[in-house]
Amino acid sequence: MRNVIAFIEHKNGQARRVSLEAASTARAVADLLGGTAHAVIVGGDAATIAQQLQTYPLDAIHILADAGAEKLIDPAVDALTSVAQAAGPSLILVGNTMIGRDVGSRFAARVGAGVNADVIEIVVDGGRVACLSPKLGGLTITTCAFKSDYGVAAIRPNVFAAKQAAGAAQIVAIAPSGKAYAVTVEEEVEEAAAELGVEEASVVVSGGRGMGGPEPFKTILRDLADALGGAVGASRAAVDAGWISHGHQVGQTGKTISPQLYIAVGISGAIQHKVGMRTAETIVAINKDGGVPIGEFADLLVVGDAFTIVPELAKQVRDAKAVHA
Amino acid sequence: MKLVPDTNADKRIDPATKRLVRTGVETVLNPFDEYAIEAALQLKEKLADGSTVTIVSMAPETGKEIVRKALAMGADNAVMLSDPAFAGSDVWGTAYALAAGIRKTGFDLVLTGTQSTDAITGELPGALAELLGVPGITYARTLAFSDGRIRVQRETETGYQAVSAPLPVLVSITKSAAEPRYPSLKGIMGAKKKELVLLRLADLELTAAVGGDGAKVELIELAAPPARGKGRVVAAADGAAGAKAIVDFLKERKLL
Repeated sequence: MRNVIAFIEHKNGQARRVSLEAASTARAVADLLGGTAHAVIVGGDAATIAQQLQTYPLDAIHILADAGAEKLIDPAVDALTSVAQAAGPSLILVGNTMIGRDVGSRFAARVGAGVNADVIEIVVDGGRVACLSPKLGGLTITTCAFKSDYGVAAIRPNVFAAKQAAGAAQIVAIAPSGKAYAVTVEEEVEEAAAELGVEEASVVVSGGRGMGGPEPFKTILRDLADALGGAVGASRAAVDAGWISHGHQVGQTGKTISPQLYIAVGISGAIQHKVGMRTAETIVAINKDGGVPIGEFADLLVVGDAFTIVPELAKQVRDAKAVHA
Repeated sequence: MKLVPDTNADKRIDPATKRLVRTGVETVLNPFDEYAIEAALQLKEKLADGSTVTIVSMAPETGKEIVRKALAMGADNAVMLSDPAFAGSDVWGTAYALAAGIRKTGFDLVLTGTQSTDAITGELPGALAELLGVPGITYARTLAFSDGRIRVQRETETGYQAVSAPLPVLVSITKSAAEPRYPSLKGIMGAKKKELVLLRLADLELTAAVGGDGAKVELIELAAPPARGKGRVVAAADGAAGAKAIVDFLKERKLL
């Protein structure tokens, strides 16, 4: 494979952060391969998103400006396939997200491409592309090389840099497939405020069993997350108790994340949870019990009452930020 | 459905062989797949039109008893793709062989979990739908069938989409769909008499290689991640002191 194609997810007229990371990485890997870097955008806003992508050093941005196509998987797979086949053997970068995995896996099955999921590093050795991914909850890191002409790498959000640089990407229209799609989206419902998910946030404040109920997730944890510009996460115990929705769950049956800062409040840190957050750069835990397992791998464990520490912390963080501003 | 090492076990890699230590770790049904089985059983019970639920699993023959657990929950029969030749299959090879097994069995609706607790790639449902040549609807938290269409609420990062598609279709089911039932004693007894078919590589009449030879990716190296040691522990007398300890630490790390 010589060329690299980034599949761009977007919503409300904005490209997703992980997609910008994919665009920037596409350039970096294409340079190592001596090939070209591309982006593929589908949906009614494709032209607007393409303009945003022009601040990244790509060679071509392919758009399918078809309203509603961004809601379905099939049009994206068709668009990606047509661009990939025109480009020749190439590496496809998608986000390791719900949509990225769907589009990537279907594309891969269609063209017989290898797939590497949850990729944290891409290496090129003698023209061969290999991906590093944590497996078994970060217990081991595998390096897997592609044996196929095409390859798909689903990159973990927040790990690759999104470097803007002057580029002269051409915007190219993708010919519509002309297919009628069997899946119909009848309604799209927003249940949560448009906030950054735990996978993409650089700071995550999570609550566990020690929160005792749903209230702290809406009040003190949310407030601390807001002060730090982050997202609210939760342990399985909190989600199973119905205190917060499953989308916020960090851990083995939830999401695996790598934020810069992870603050675990009232979470013991059992293996179930640990595998979802142990690759955070910095881990801070607040717990009333000094003997909890999280103390064995947190960078800082503060033993005390979360209900007084968390609000005070939000205040002190705001004060510290005000000094800088 | 997939068989995986018990999720509650603390998994270890043998430093010498670089393989997962399986000794003393029980093999269980992938917890994510139990939601799909439950959704299948509920739909069958609701339709009550003679529809049947078949369990399809790629697993060594030794996994039979675990597949029987799904039969004990209420599935009608099971098909196991068991052949040493399947070992080492990647996402593509697994989806390719499963698609052949499912086609041979016949289907209107294929339900899967959203991911497995061991590999967690989440790539299988999409690949399987593609290789079956049917539409795929992922992350469904509800499942219904009316006017000839499967209707689901498909979870998104911020809410859901109401989605429908005609049969045949593949749907992956999330854990918010329904709590899986426990097999009843009657179910367990009955499961022993239910049909469990073993399909070998030759039965699938595949045209492309599966297993390690057919894999589109190749494992080059296994490495241990950088170790995470025990950090600082601070006892906080009150909220202000605890908060200050954290703020000082964040400043030290240039996070504030």
